[in-house]
Order: sequence, then structure tokens, then C-alpha cells
Amino acid sequence: MEQEIEKVTLAEIAATFFMIGATGFGGGMAIVALIERRCVHEKKWLGHNEFMHGLAFSQILGPFSLNSSTFVGYYLRGPVGGVVASACFIAPSFLLICILSYLYFQFHEVPALKSALMGSNPVVIALILVAGLGMARKNVAGWEGAAVASIAFAVSALLGVSALKILLVAGCWGLYKGWRMGRGC
Amino acid sequence: MPAFLKLCLVFLKIGVVFFGGGYVLIPLLHRIMVDQMRWLSLKEFLDGVALSQLTPGPLAMLATFTGYKAGGLPGALAATVCIFLPCTVLMLLISSRYHHFRRIEAVRHFLDGILPAVVGLVFAAAFTLGRTSLASARDFLLLAAGFALLQFTAIAPMAVILGAAAVGLLLRFS
Repeated sequence: MEQEIEKVTLAEIAATFFMIGATGFGGGMAIVALIERRCVHEKKWLGHNEFMHGLAFSQILGPFSLNSSTFVGYYLRGPVGGVVASACFIAPSFLLICILSYLYFQFHEVPALKSALMGSNPVVIALILVAGLGMARKNVAGWEGAAVASIAFAVSALLGVSALKILLVAGCWGLYKGWRMGRGC
Repeated sequence: MPAFLKLCLVFLKIGVVFFGGGYVLIPLLHRIMVDQMRWLSLKEFLDGVALSQLTPGPLAMLATFTGYKAGGLPGALAATVCIFLPCTVLMLLISSRYHHFRRIEAVRHFLDGILPAVVGLVFAAAFTLGRTSLASARDFLLLAAGFALLQFTAIAPMAVILGAAAVGLLLRFS
């Protein structure tokens, strides 16, 4: 395992996350789905479990697409890997925004990229669904896990409760279960 | 250059109160950038939000847009680095303690409780995006085709996304 990790070069981390940052239109969960596919399934850089833990921390800390990149980069090559992954992930968006900002403040018009997004958005939803189904198979066990996942889905999608609050409540529920198990009830 | 320093400080501050992320950020950014700092007019702010959503990056790419207006390319770079610095440093800290954390029993229980909720949030993200962007039979057709390609073939997801974007551009979806 250790040698396996040594082999990933910074250049490979940089190229991978630059590509993800350049193609993950739809943002947020689309990025997470791409990282999971590239880094966990295709390159096998880290296990599914580790990735899910990283995603959980990432969501607690805010911009989770960036945070997941940082986490995977760190997992592979320490602090430098984390910085390289996050910087390379942001770079394409940064360049794109700079170009768009230049055009916008020159001509005061939002360019017609909308139709491209209208084409890619349905596919991005498919990408997120595929990733979600894979995650559900591995992380949602029994009726109780399904109930937690469904409740999290409903309060987020329908009531707009923030991810941070949902995850903290779910974490406390996990702590309570652990405490009950520890007491042998 | 005090104006430049001010820019860095403001975005660092926003980066610190980033927790929760996403759309809770919009009212906060609006107050700071339009009302307090007057870097953007209201229209520019709204157009900036739209532009930042065109990119794969998080909504906070709005910082790049604002920085560009306030200080050109150096301003854009400084604003971007500053808004993402706090969460990246925090994430590096958590990552560095990760192997230690996961051996603690309480943390393990906490994470076990969180993971199903994370899965729920993944589906919620698909739902939210779907509510705004699935309107016609065409969209559902693309969704089904994309799902089939991504689930049952080994075609790279980047190719599928860019292909669909090209279809949208060429057929002038509106």
C-alpha cells in the first residue's frame, strides 16, 4: 500500500485535477462524482471508504468540490499534494472567469455559454446519480441507513436545510448509536 | 497599495466565514461587495453570480470576478487565493490528522452516522440541479442517454459532459 502511494507523482496529480477542473461543468457534486470515478475507481489511488470520509469532512467545511481535491491530494502526497490538487482544480475556472470578466467589463454582456450548459446539465445529473447509486450500495446498509439517507435528502432538497446542519445531526445520531452499542443495549 | 491589501483582507474574511458554503454565501457577498465596498453594482453582482455558475468551480469564483473588477488580473488572483486560503488550510489540517482521527472510536461513530446522510445529500444535489434544468423531453432524453453511457460503458465522463455541451451549443439550446 505504501509503495503504491509513493508512485503517484505530483505531475500526475496536477494533470488529473486540472482535467477534472476543466470539464466538471455543473460544479459541486459533479466534481465529487468525477473525482470518485477517476481517483477511486479508475486509478485506485484511495479506497472508497477513505474518499467518503474525505467528502464528509469536505462538506462540513464549505466548498466541498475544492476540499475533496485538497483531501485526495493530501492523501497521496502530503501538504504539497493537497495544495497542487486544489490549485490545479481551481485553475481552469480561474482562467475561464478571467476571460469572461474581461469580456463582460468590456462589452457588459454575459456570453452565450448558456446553451452549452443546457446540453451538459442533464448529463451532469446522470453523472451525479450514477455516483450516488454506487455510494448508496456501499454506505447505506439496512433500513436505518436508508432512513437517514432519505431524511437527509428530503430536508436538503425540499426544505433547503444547509448541509452543515444535516451532517452534524447525522454525526450525533452516529455517536448516540455508538454509545448505545457500547453499553450493550 | 492599501486598496490591494484591503481587497485581500476582505476576501480572507469571507473565506473564514465560508462554512456551510454554497448559496448562504450570496446574501453575505452581496452585502459586502455591493453595499459596503461598492466594488460592483447590483446588476454586475447578479451577472457575476451567473458567470461564476458557468464554471466548474464553486460559487465563490465570484471572488475572481469581483477581484478582476476591483484590481484587474492581480486583483482577481489575490481575491481567489484569499477566499480559498482558509478552507484549504483547514482541510489540509484535517487531512493531516485523518489517519489519527479514524482510529478514535467516537470519530468513527460520528463518520458512520454521517456517511448515509452524505449519500442523501448527493441525491439532493442531483434533485436541485434537476429542478432547474430538466424542463423538456429533450432534457430527460439526454439524462437517460448520459446515465446509460456512464453506468454501462467505459467512456470517460469528461468526454460525455463535453459532448453534451457541444450538442447544446450546436443545436442552440435555449
